[in-house]
Amino acid sequence: MKRALMMNDEDNVATALEQLEGGVPATAILPSQDVFKQVTPEKTIPSGHKLAVKEIPKGDHVVKYGLVIGNAIRDISLGDHVHVHNVMSNRMQMPEVWYREGVDR
Amino acid sequence: MKFLGYERPGGSVGIRNLILVVSVADCSEPVARMIAQGENGAKAVTQHYGCIPGQMVANTLIGIGENPNVAAVLLIGMGCEGMPASALGKMIKGSGKPVEWLSIQEQGGTHNTVTRGKQILRSLSEKASGLNRQEFDASELIVGVKCGGSDTTSGLAGNPAVGVFVDMLVDAGGSAIMMEPIEAVGAEEPLAARAVNNKVREKIYKMIGDEEKRWSVPGAQMEFMCRGNVEGGLTTIEEKSLGAIHKSGSRKIADVLENSDRCLEKVPKGGGVYLQDGTHMEPMAMSFMAAAGAHMVIFITGCGGTFGHAIVPFIKVTGNPETYRRMSGDMDVNAGTILTGEESMESVGKRIFNEVIEVASGKLTLGEALGYDNFSVFRNDPRLDALLNIST
Repeated sequence: MKRALMMNDEDNVATALEQLEGGVPATAILPSQDVFKQVTPEKTIPSGHKLAVKEIPKGDHVVKYGLVIGNAIRDISLGDHVHVHNVMSNRMQMPEVWYREGVDR
Repeated sequence: MKFLGYERPGGSVGIRNLILVVSVADCSEPVARMIAQGENGAKAVTQHYGCIPGQMVANTLIGIGENPNVAAVLLIGMGCEGMPASALGKMIKGSGKPVEWLSIQEQGGTHNTVTRGKQILRSLSEKASGLNRQEFDASELIVGVKCGGSDTTSGLAGNPAVGVFVDMLVDAGGSAIMMEPIEAVGAEEPLAARAVNNKVREKIYKMIGDEEKRWSVPGAQMEFMCRGNVEGGLTTIEEKSLGAIHKSGSRKIADVLENSDRCLEKVPKGGGVYLQDGTHMEPMAMSFMAAAGAHMVIFITGCGGTFGHAIVPFIKVTGNPETYRRMSGDMDVNAGTILTGEESMESVGKRIFNEVIEVASGKLTLGEALGYDNFSVFRNDPRLDALLNIST
């Protein structure tokens, strides 16, 4: 099964270690290589991108490394791609041109 | 662990034996290049802020002249600069190494300066080439860590593996410098928690806060995250920062090195992890770290990178197995083995330490073998700092 890595068991996102296919279950592992849970991506998740391993309601913290990396700007479901289209920094916003080229916010 | 280095006056140790030709302003750069061209071990460098560049630039040029990888220095000036070659030369001479300077106007133009410059260079080179490498303890080493072209593998593999190395180096008595003023935004708390005392804790918050102010001016197009970062999966500056600080390991942060018009603080003797104020832009950050005394810099990348530095060897580490496959001719260390499950973080950290010892002892990095010798200098805009009330 393809793998996604969580850096801390408090995290609500995991990083895809290879491209994950939509609808095909993948394993979310911890740095110890222990399996945290199985999660089915909503759609293709490119290698290095994140998917939700827990529900993240709009306004809640997105957590990686056990620390806050931003806030959900819409409801995020289990298995959703988590990136600039549904997360915003609490500190500094990057130039809009970068996310227009990626995914519309 | 021991390495083979060059003893310098004043008790410092170099890992390279360079002769530096410093053009104090860009107007005299072509003459400096003509002098250095074809001379073994000579590197010509300059700065591009004009002939009244300010104290921060002067501090950097003095610092790189004093760097122990440099055996001797020849400074070239036009003669009418606000920052004359003689003034910088006298400061560098305080380190005890041979330092000479020439004014193009005094020498009577290009031809005379190049002829005289080459004569001086050969005599400096003769002396320097007579030095032999001797054995020194790894505790003498000062290693900079810098990431760039980051993707999510940087925070998952490349940076933490370098962090393992930094812990090993510091435990062996050595020193590490991390310069990431902007890529610490959102990562203040884990850094401050490692401060050796409250004063250092406050300095950490101030350095990061000041840089956040500089990059948050309304209406300006601010590019603290590049498109490659976002395509690689990094979503926010907080995520980038929390991944970036892993490369400084887990040991106590001994101090924040000031880098301003007032002074460019050097890494003191005794070992430890230091944060240095400056910039996140790689070649410029490397010049600052070199000026603070770094012997070499480890560069951690996800997307890849092909550059180096004129004074400090640059060991490139990638945590992205695909980047290593595509660019193995440029990447010194493959940390992608962590993500493929082939190797542990500790094992890669040890490999990096071994590579550092070998490079310190004279092994060329891939960038050195390719002839990469980037050199550029950064300064904070004094007008911006004044308008934002940023004081040092």
